[in-house]
Amino acid sequence: MTSLIIVSVLAVAVLYLGLFKYKTALLPVSVTGLLAAAAMAAMDWDLEKMYFSEMMLFDNYAVAFSILLILTTLLIFGLSRNYFEKISNNVAEYYALMLFALAGGVVMVSFHNLAMLFIGIEILSISLYVLAGIRRKDPASNEASLKYFLMGAFATGFLLFGTALIYGATGSFNLAAIASSGAFESALFRAGVLLMMVGLSFKVSVAPFHTWTPDVYEGSPGLIAMFMATVVKTAGFAAFLRLFLMAFAEASAFWAITVAILCILTLFAGNITAVFQDRFKRLLAWSSVSHAGYLLLAILAVGFSASSAVLVYTIAYSLASVAAFGIMILVSRARGNDHLDSFNGLARTNPFLAFTLTLAVCSLAGIPLTAGFFGKFYVFKVALAQGYTWLVVLAVINAMIGIYYYFKVIIAMYMKENANAVAIQLNPGFRLVLSIVVFLIFLFGIFPGLIANIL
Amino acid sequence: MLLQSSASSYLPILIQGIMALAFVGITMVITHLVGPKRRTIDKLTPFESGISSVGNARSPFSIKYFLVAILFVLFDVEVIFMYPWAVNFRELGGKGMIEMFVFMGMLLLGFFYVIRKGALDWEK
Amino acid sequence: MLTQSLFYFLSFLAIFSALAVIIAKNPVHSVLYLILTFFAITGHYILLNAQFLAIVNMIVYAGAIMVLFLFVLMLLNLNAETEPQKPAYIKIAGVVSGGLLLLVLVGALKTVDVSGAGGTTATDMGLVENLGMVLFNEFLLPFELASVLLLTAMVGAVLIGRREA
Repeated sequence: MTSLIIVSVLAVAVLYLGLFKYKTALLPVSVTGLLAAAAMAAMDWDLEKMYFSEMMLFDNYAVAFSILLILTTLLIFGLSRNYFEKISNNVAEYYALMLFALAGGVVMVSFHNLAMLFIGIEILSISLYVLAGIRRKDPASNEASLKYFLMGAFATGFLLFGTALIYGATGSFNLAAIASSGAFESALFRAGVLLMMVGLSFKVSVAPFHTWTPDVYEGSPGLIAMFMATVVKTAGFAAFLRLFLMAFAEASAFWAITVAILCILTLFAGNITAVFQDRFKRLLAWSSVSHAGYLLLAILAVGFSASSAVLVYTIAYSLASVAAFGIMILVSRARGNDHLDSFNGLARTNPFLAFTLTLAVCSLAGIPLTAGFFGKFYVFKVALAQGYTWLVVLAVINAMIGIYYYFKVIIAMYMKENANAVAIQLNPGFRLVLSIVVFLIFLFGIFPGLIANIL
Repeated sequence: MLLQSSASSYLPILIQGIMALAFVGITMVITHLVGPKRRTIDKLTPFESGISSVGNARSPFSIKYFLVAILFVLFDVEVIFMYPWAVNFRELGGKGMIEMFVFMGMLLLGFFYVIRKGALDWEK
Repeated sequence: MLTQSLFYFLSFLAIFSALAVIIAKNPVHSVLYLILTFFAITGHYILLNAQFLAIVNMIVYAGAIMVLFLFVLMLLNLNAETEPQKPAYIKIAGVVSGGLLLLVLVGALKTVDVSGAGGTTATDMGLVENLGMVLFNEFLLPFELASVLLLTAMVGAVLIGRREA
């Protein structure tokens, strides 16, 4: 709770720093504030505190995901020096909006009441609608913003309708009260679950509600796309799982088949389309769709270890995405576009970048010795424990397809040559963040126990 | 203690609304029926300060109006929240006061931001 | 008796004008029908004794948000006949999925036990006083966070709507 207050106040503080032209203070203040927020969140560990008549429950689940969101934002801020300045002169607003979005994300992972879920999702989404349209002169950015807004508003309608039906069936917004209401057989409740599923699926880009993803990722500035792929996706899945775990778990026999179908659709839609992409950003967008499919596997297996599996997966995915999007930003800035050919010869000019990107895509693909391998491993494990062998087989086939398109980048970097490529200059922020990410991907890839037993 | 009231308490308001609408309607109809009419071309062309009208009325206009309108909606929603607070002012006491002031403070910060940013300056 | 006939009248009005919103060719007519829909819904709120919601619906939706809708229409160039025709398969897909949703909802609502399965039985909950007490005690946190939401929207509006210096 304290961390939520810190993040909200920090957002306003950053906004006002920008208003009074203390541009140099923006980043230090944000970083300090975020560290404080992460520390305050960690203080709530094991306390299981309820706040404001059971509106929020800061259990270990909420604390772990809050810290993950805050630290990921911190990594993204580490890359942001001199980034927004190039796009616009309202730099402070972008930091403030990302912090507002983070506050929404913290609400989404710690809600204990459907009203809070709605407010959290809205705070997060509204900030993102604006952030997607940062580049005002760029039609693609405008299109991304408008498309995201219209589709998002529509999806929110579904979410709200579902909430209303569930309230009608159970008489409460409180997750514990819903879980103990025993109204799982009523058609009203079931319709509500399905509608909420539609709304949430949109937010985490699960097929067939994913169509906005590639266009919005492509139109948004790289750093914002990175934010969407990491913080937003983590918050969305944490909220999805929390809702289904704490409120709808008893009714899982009813919704499991729907989630299974969504899972298959998402896996195939994401992976097969990603194969045909020749721009790296779009490839990452489609791969983010496919990762939503793997994460759905864990939701299917609601139970004790599902939250742990989702946590490991989102940590691995966030780390790898930060690195992949970060290098994509560098390359497209230096070479003019994010076409896969632009990565040719990167291994010769920038061995460190090539190595980091290799590690990142290996982690995304789930190659052993990287964090991503254990992400997939735990997700498959919980799904197998629930008897979804056929789904896991399909998911493994998809992971194979994934390896094919992820390796296209590695081949471009190491096997292909680009005669007139020059070395890309890194600023200290990039160097630091990428080093941290490389270290963590290896660390969690070799000692998965560090994160696997948190929850 | 829940306060009692029901939809039928709105009957007087409904009657008043009907009366008001009926008055407007009847006045319009009667003036049309009673008043003299001279339908010449000069009388029927729209009057635009003596200049003959060009194009039609559906021309796109500046985004500035929209910004003002959307800010109005935001503050409108804010003010709506004050109704339930105001009627319960006594019961909520000091705690309610603080709660409302936090809410208002947040939005006043927003208002100050809007002013400082010059979003309401028409000439800029 | 009066209440019941009012209910049927308002329901008819709401459904009719909602249909007219999507059928009307002229977007301005759509907006006007939408206002009518909102008024009908306001009437429903009054019948349900949710007086605060009725007033909010009237002031915010029928008042402010509709003005905003009209603004958006005026920002667009309505003279150009640029509305692209959707291909037939999209129309069919829309009808099918909309129809399925309708089917699910009708099926769900048909089975509802009207005598109130856990639902709130306090018919005076919608009065401003009672709603205020709930809002400022039980739902305090969502209320305060709503200020964060409004502030976010404000910053966003200024950022997008203002001319870049």
